[in-house]
Amino acid sequence: MGDGIMIVGGGLAAQRCAETLRRLGCEARLRIVCAEPAAPYDRPPLSKAVLANAGAEDDLAYRRTRWYAEQGIELLLGVPADGLDGVRRTVVLADGRVLAFDQLLIATGSRPRRLAVLDRFANVHALRTVADACALRAALAAGGRLVVVGAGFIGQEVAAAAVRAGVQTTIVEAAEAPLAAMFGRSVGSWFTELHRSEGVDMVLGTTVAAAHGTGAVERVTLSDGRMLPCDNVVVGVGVDPDVNWLGDAGLGPVGAGGQTRTPGVFAAGDVTGGGHWESAARQGAAAARAMLGLEPVRMAPAGFWSDLYGTRVQYVGRARTADSTTIDGDPAARDFRVTFTRGGRAVGVLLVGRPHELPSARALLAA
Amino acid sequence: MSYTATIDPGACAAHGDCEVIAPAVFAIEDIAVVVGTGPDVLMLEAARACPSVAIAITDEDGRRVYP
Repeated sequence: MGDGIMIVGGGLAAQRCAETLRRLGCEARLRIVCAEPAAPYDRPPLSKAVLANAGAEDDLAYRRTRWYAEQGIELLLGVPADGLDGVRRTVVLADGRVLAFDQLLIATGSRPRRLAVLDRFANVHALRTVADACALRAALAAGGRLVVVGAGFIGQEVAAAAVRAGVQTTIVEAAEAPLAAMFGRSVGSWFTELHRSEGVDMVLGTTVAAAHGTGAVERVTLSDGRMLPCDNVVVGVGVDPDVNWLGDAGLGPVGAGGQTRTPGVFAAGDVTGGGHWESAARQGAAAARAMLGLEPVRMAPAGFWSDLYGTRVQYVGRARTADSTTIDGDPAARDFRVTFTRGGRAVGVLLVGRPHELPSARALLAA
Repeated sequence: MSYTATIDPGACAAHGDCEVIAPAVFAIEDIAVVVGTGPDVLMLEAARACPSVAIAITDEDGRRVYP
């Protein structure tokens, strides 16, 4: 037994857990082990400000280095974890070190899914880390033609930043409209028209069948036979929880306070399949409380937000379960609200250009 | 200095935008807390920037200014 609390992963859930532990008076040894070389930083700007402005990456850190020293939090950066022994209560690091813990938070986040057909090319980008974002910004600075594969929020934000930077941009999406699986096809079509009106070429109901080039991809063949020349490709087709380091055992079920099936081992953030900023923030804090044996705090439903071409898009609830949608406002003016209902009861709300309606949307869902 | 800010604790996820915009008014603890006062324009800007829309602004007569 011994050696305090260890947090594996250095994202938002890790940071919130560490901050909450110290704020609640926990004086145990506290270590954060992180594969990335940077102290915990905020990721949402990576697909927004960091793509648009050189230097924006310098403002991402949640805390200055000094804060970790003041709080007695040890940062072990640039070293991935490579294994967990829940019986001996040790974590093995990729550099061979074996570290003991009393309590552990698994917060390794997620990895972008890759497409086998594009995997071997140097100019194919994912967007997860600050290094990814800086590399993509540098690549886009040369202009040229960009193909974005996947019209999720990351793909849409990248396309928006690229086309505004003067890059000729095409989105290739397998569904008939962006986000159609979540919001339905008619709402998805609004996103299609939004991007088209800004000059993005939208290729829908189509996938990348083949890629051509030596070293760098020079053109892609789509499933409809169409050929797209490209200077850069961004793949934004979702993420998978980063659980490979846990081996075959995987993560298993995770409780409301982040408890795993191994006593004293907790999980929070994207690694649990949660998926978004607010859920990662709340799960990190909830795990800290659970580690200290405190009652959980009731969590509000996590919301999601995006900024596209200067318009704020917010979503709360579970629109996927809806059987009916109502649109109020003026979609053409980027000012509307979609209420998703199931059996007459509101289950989700999407707001475009109407941030002031978010409190009433939350109240509607809680009613 | 006539506006008052209040935080909805059920809505705030401690994004921290308010603290960046108006550090004299807001601080992030478990969630954002109001720690002082500041120019009306900054308080309103902070409330508008909040991705969770967890900040309500009222004027000196108690009337809702935002949201």
